Amino acid sequence: SVAASPAALRRLADDLFVEARAAAARRGTPDLTFMEVCGTHTMAIARYGLRDLLPPEVRLISGPGCPVCVTAMGDLDRVIALARLPAVTLTTFGDLIRVPASRSSLAAERAAGADVRVVYSARDAVEIAAAEPGRQVVFAGIGFETTAPTVAAALLEARTRGVANFSVLGLHKTMPLPLKALLELGETEIAGFLLPGHVSVVTGSAGYQFLARDFGVGGVVAGFEAHDVLRALLSLVRQATPAIEIEYARAVRPEGNLVAQGLLARVMEPCDADWRGLGVIPGSGLRLRGEFAALDAERRFAIHAGEPLEPAGCRCGEVLRGVLDPAECALFGARCTPEDPVGACMVSSEGACAARYRYRGLDD
Amino acid sequence: MCLALPMRITMIDGQLATIVADGLEQRASIVLVPDADIGDYVLVHAGYAISVIDEDEANETYGLLAELAEAAAWEDSRGRRPETGGRLDRDGTQEDA
Amino acid sequence: GTGRVLLGHGSGGKLYRDLVRDVFLTAFSNPLLDRLDDAVALAPTGRIAFTTDSHVVQPLIFPGGDIGRLAVAGTVNDLATAAARPLALAAAFIIEEGFAFDELEAICASMAATAVEAGVPIVTGDTKVVERGACDGVYVTTTGVGEIVIDHELGAQAVCDGDAVILSGGVGDHAVAVLAARGDFHFSADVRSDCAPLWGLVEATVGAVRDVTSPVSSAIADAAGGAEALRFLRDPTRGGLTTVLAELAEEAKLGIEVEEAAIPVSPAVRSVCDLLGYDPLTLANEGKMVLVVAPEAADTVVAALRAQPLGRDAAQVGVVTAAHPGRVALRTMFGTRRVLDMPVGELLPRIC
Repeated sequence: SVAASPAALRRLADDLFVEARAAAARRGTPDLTFMEVCGTHTMAIARYGLRDLLPPEVRLISGPGCPVCVTAMGDLDRVIALARLPAVTLTTFGDLIRVPASRSSLAAERAAGADVRVVYSARDAVEIAAAEPGRQVVFAGIGFETTAPTVAAALLEARTRGVANFSVLGLHKTMPLPLKALLELGETEIAGFLLPGHVSVVTGSAGYQFLARDFGVGGVVAGFEAHDVLRALLSLVRQATPAIEIEYARAVRPEGNLVAQGLLARVMEPCDADWRGLGVIPGSGLRLRGEFAALDAERRFAIHAGEPLEPAGCRCGEVLRGVLDPAECALFGARCTPEDPVGACMVSSEGACAARYRYRGLDD
Repeated sequence: MCLALPMRITMIDGQLATIVADGLEQRASIVLVPDADIGDYVLVHAGYAISVIDEDEANETYGLLAELAEAAAWEDSRGRRPETGGRLDRDGTQEDA
Repeated sequence: GTGRVLLGHGSGGKLYRDLVRDVFLTAFSNPLLDRLDDAVALAPTGRIAFTTDSHVVQPLIFPGGDIGRLAVAGTVNDLATAAARPLALAAAFIIEEGFAFDELEAICASMAATAVEAGVPIVTGDTKVVERGACDGVYVTTTGVGEIVIDHELGAQAVCDGDAVILSGGVGDHAVAVLAARGDFHFSADVRSDCAPLWGLVEATVGAVRDVTSPVSSAIADAAGGAEALRFLRDPTRGGLTTVLAELAEEAKLGIEVEEAAIPVSPAVRSVCDLLGYDPLTLANEGKMVLVVAPEAADTVVAALRAQPLGRDAAQVGVVTAAHPGRVALRTMFGTRRVLDMPVGELLPRIC
């Protein structure tokens, strides 16, 4: 992919500057609050320093789209409990390693002797299981509709190859419903959504239509280059009537990836899921179907995780709902820092708190 | 929520494809994009190709950006630039606010 | 030789002497080492720099280097950051029972070649052998003594507002080369480690700054008289360029502005970083130097570096500023700015 030239970006920024002012005036609000749902967008905005290009009328807040940040404490504790079982080799994406669970983290468990391994792909976890038949290899299945089909494909491969010592702890979540929950809470004035690019590669854009239809809030599916984000914001600002558009047309089709959707549906089914900061949202999670019970870590192991313990004073939930700027949290930057994170939004390199921490001091 | 990188397919071996980006080669599963072919660009996430990139759309996007760059340059030469609040002067260096 | 290292080779008896003679003496032979004394007498004239480094890299051999080359270059480069000519190295080995002799000999050959390249003898050392499984093949700890060739004190305290930040070449190659060789994430990358001893590079820089005789403003002449134009040197190993700059900004209580476009990153390193979610500026390098110099000497230093093979991609990448003390700001390719913060934990591939 080719990155835009500075001149093109400057032109997009200039247009956004002019049109955002007009849009705010049209709406009769001092500014426009857009929510970038996806954690990878939060990272791209931070990495390219895009906040410098935004006009004063445009405010970007981070939504519940970072798979680490939204994982509830109870779920994290179950991953820790599994990692402690002597027979288990707990495999996971790197994202989870440092996240503080109620009383520990995977990094701490590994240091204490647990067999915790980072993998780049769920397929690698299946390979580890095939290579080490004596171990019970569990994969911590976090992530949204982009990642869930890859885990489903790995499960199918494990079953086909008869890799009986492989199992998945299904903690996957799906995207459109938490946005509905956010809007129903009505706590913050969201003028539009920067919709997740790679989730939409799989799901398509149809699943977001309710945002415009039922709530009158527009959304644009955006890519992850600097020009993608600016073009998407421009589309949002230009929307006379709320609509769902695709800026990231080179990768996202309205119907999405039907093969991936089909494969996912064969292996997993919707279930209720507990979201940090949003609580349980019916039908917003994915669990393994009964047909795959043999590969479901939930059923293979007796997981005793104890009562989840939310860190005192941690307000990640409100940050995730876009109603609290991280700097307004009492722990921010003092008790809670990237080196010594309290909440998940500070651990994840693209959590709202981590991104906000990195900007402190330079312009304050 | 999901890092993915556009990579080009150079070889297909059943459900696995050899894919390359600039100076990088890897094998990824194409089980989620069965009709992807050699020479296609695919988006790769966590070891799986999740979409075939639409070349026309990609070219259109980059064409638009090139036009924007030219428009910006042309307007610069005419000295007509909408006010951008001093964030960026013309050669991309930031004026100290 | 054929065969494997036995526990007996570590127990000080005849087997131990055979190992020292057949492997280490053969590779490193020099008048001081050949005496096989427990301690060696050195007679340095100037001020001394002293450092040590342990090496546990896996795999032991990777494109562009191996644990042997790393062990020598790492210590030579640490001495170089004190502008010290390496005088002598010591090398202590911890070897796993059953480690193949031919691999040990290959590592020692590489150490010897790198030592010759850096112009420093390996004059003493030690060897221990541990039970199979108690260590991962071989660990090497090298200690170095060097003679400082400048009169003033280098370091964060010498850095001033307006000083130039210079990088001797591209970043990320070592980390990516090792990661690809380890194979955890099943990719191959067109990257070689930059592992190399940099004393020659630093020596050339000191000389260039000291010999500035061109009719430049007297500021340079004064500043460069005793090479005071050279303020700070550090090799950006683990934690990469970002860590060196973040630590410097904090220690010097000054800000640093860096230009992303000025920092060379090879396409392969950039692709791997995009694939796994890494920031190339935080990746380890084993053959790069960060130099902070007086602004008037910047061009002289860049030219001196580029005249050397190991510094051919050298460039000024930023400037020290009194603004935002303790913080490093990066100006992106688009003219926007973001903070460079030290990486926190280990390097892990991310999906998000």
